[in-house]
Amino acid sequence: MDDSAKRLLQRLMRRIPTPTLRSALEKWGRLTTEQQKSMDFTQSKWALTERLLGICEENELAVKQLTDLEMIHVIDNPDQGMWYAFQLMDPEDDAKSVDLTQFKEQFKSHLRELVRNVSIKMKKHTDEAVWIRIAWGDTFSRPNHLKPTYIVHYLQTPYVFVTSITSKQKPLLSQALVLSTRYQAIKDANLSGRKLTAIRDLLMKKYQQVFPTKYPIPPPENNQTISTFVLLFIDQHIEKEQAELAANRLQMACEAFGGGMLPQLQSAVYKLETKFRDHSNKTMTEREEPFRCVVKFTSTNLLESFRHCASSGIASTPVTPLLSCIPLKGRNYFLITDNGPGPSSQRGQPQV
Amino acid sequence: MERHQNRYNSILLITLLKYYFLKETRTPRNNVVVHRRRKSKSYRLSYRSGLGAADSRLGWSPALTARRLNTSRKAAGISNIAERVDPGQLALLVKTEWQLSYVTPLHQFRHTQLKSYARQLSAFIAAGKQQGLAVEVEGLQTTFRVSFSLVQGMTQSDEDAESVLVQIHSKRLFARQDEPQKPVWSGWLTCINGNPDYLRALPKDFVCLPLFGCSGADGLSALVKSWFQQSFDCCFGLLEISHTSLQWLMALWTNCHAESGIQHLKMIWTLPAAPPLQVTYTVDPEDAWELWSSVRKGKGGGGGGEEEEEAGENYIDIEEVTSFMQGLKSHFYRHFRLDLSAGSLNQVSTALGSAKYSGRMKISNSRYMITTLTLLTECALLKMPI
Repeated sequence: MDDSAKRLLQRLMRRIPTPTLRSALEKWGRLTTEQQKSMDFTQSKWALTERLLGICEENELAVKQLTDLEMIHVIDNPDQGMWYAFQLMDPEDDAKSVDLTQFKEQFKSHLRELVRNVSIKMKKHTDEAVWIRIAWGDTFSRPNHLKPTYIVHYLQTPYVFVTSITSKQKPLLSQALVLSTRYQAIKDANLSGRKLTAIRDLLMKKYQQVFPTKYPIPPPENNQTISTFVLLFIDQHIEKEQAELAANRLQMACEAFGGGMLPQLQSAVYKLETKFRDHSNKTMTEREEPFRCVVKFTSTNLLESFRHCASSGIASTPVTPLLSCIPLKGRNYFLITDNGPGPSSQRGQPQV
Repeated sequence: MERHQNRYNSILLITLLKYYFLKETRTPRNNVVVHRRRKSKSYRLSYRSGLGAADSRLGWSPALTARRLNTSRKAAGISNIAERVDPGQLALLVKTEWQLSYVTPLHQFRHTQLKSYARQLSAFIAAGKQQGLAVEVEGLQTTFRVSFSLVQGMTQSDEDAESVLVQIHSKRLFARQDEPQKPVWSGWLTCINGNPDYLRALPKDFVCLPLFGCSGADGLSALVKSWFQQSFDCCFGLLEISHTSLQWLMALWTNCHAESGIQHLKMIWTLPAAPPLQVTYTVDPEDAWELWSSVRKGKGGGGGGEEEEEAGENYIDIEEVTSFMQGLKSHFYRHFRLDLSAGSLNQVSTALGSAKYSGRMKISNSRYMITTLTLLTECALLKMPI
């Protein structure tokens, strides 16, 4: 095994945690049963790496086979690293009829035309997703397998998700994608996050949508134990009224953000460049320049937090379009200006 | 029949009232939050009889203990602290994040005995290590060298006691002589612009250094604090930087933008959603400065800060601070229809420093150190149990 293969294996072993290593190796299928049995997973990572190095030398495995292992690991654990979503625009007439084989051939040939030395691996996953691994090289150097780019494209949809790509590589990739999928352009979808599953579900709306209906969702069971003393003084009318308001809020919250389990989006960034408008502050209201600020929302499950804010009253309902835009448009980076809606901007709120 | 009904009602009312009052006194009151105003003072004395005996001599008047955070304070002027304080010591104080505590007055603390205190603390730590108290050690042979130093030049008034800096260096057995030793633990005690009435009312034996900051291993912090408690009969408590104080820091720092750019004004709020929602609200420095100038009641500000603020004349009122905050909140609300008041302000930071609700604070620019420490000294003094 040459040096680059050794380094790749060492890097892989650092990246793959021991619990998932066993299943990854089984899926890989390059180890014989005895070799598999000889791997003692209770040992330290270093010892395992040494053992695996030995096995790979025995089996005369090279970089090509090791990249298979890496791909298996990444496909099974997609929620790592930063993923960026892109959207293909303006389909040609035959965009819908592009099938897997055609896409694979076209993509490989186009990318090889653009980049001299590139290593491409494509794999179709069960859920209609095509996974692509690219190791970039150039005229003078061999493909660098230590910094590969991963791309996920769902055939028949205009969505592409990319991780670990530099600004130099981006236009090359865009060109290859556009040509092979028979679209005319590709643009940044302004959606990014650590969890691929979350941003994919958000963009492709793979969660429960709630639509306006005559029959609102019943409010959750009230678990609060009300003191017996206070109960004497509660008016039944007030209780009923509050319950109705709560149900209304919950309905609007679910319409804006969805019902049931929501994709685990973790952050949203708003760059605000709107004018400051406040009745009580004349000086600032008369100011011509916009008030620039950046607001970042973070949470372990952002959409869930927003829905809870709306249903509990922390956020006023009806939910402002700025927040409901996240699930509606499937994006989490916004540039808000006072001008009319543009390609990447939104209209600011009208004066209250 | 009616009489029975009335009697029943009154008994019910009395039981209700008793329930509520009992409930109130049953909930443990430890740290008194700064912005809660109390008319009656029944703070528990949490330190030992040493001070208790002195109680009769103190003669506290109700006015002293009904103190609140100042509603108006001096705007930060250009401070020539760099000239007055040893730059080496100043460098140690800035750019580190300190965990703040308040300390009750120290009994028989002498600024002249610092060397002796250093020896005593050193021995105390060694003893603590032997007893197996949790102290992170780099190696079994590590011993600690303690140094107490006087930080001269920081005091602002005659009543302030001189600040003291404590450092603990680890002495490795085979360390070279010329190796620069970074302290493994540092702490300081200070009193800047302390309330003169309070300080004058203290009996002669007591030195008031109410603000304590430390940085380093928790085990060492605990040891140092217990040594102080043992030697000077004092008490330490966590100093939380209240919402009001954080707003003050925001305003004071923004006010300095004309002299030293703040680079950004960042606030971190936490809203009580399920799961909790964190909001990081960063404002462009120029816009923050303009908003701040617009709420100042026609005093200075604006014009790009060409006018120097004359020390002693420029005061900031709490109303200006709250209007500033209100402006920021309403701009936020206009866009997101989320009321930030529903949550809590956890952290405020600018290029001049940062402060967290949990009591962690960092000063990044020594010029404004005095203003920040004045505010924090005031917070610490308000926490004094009596």
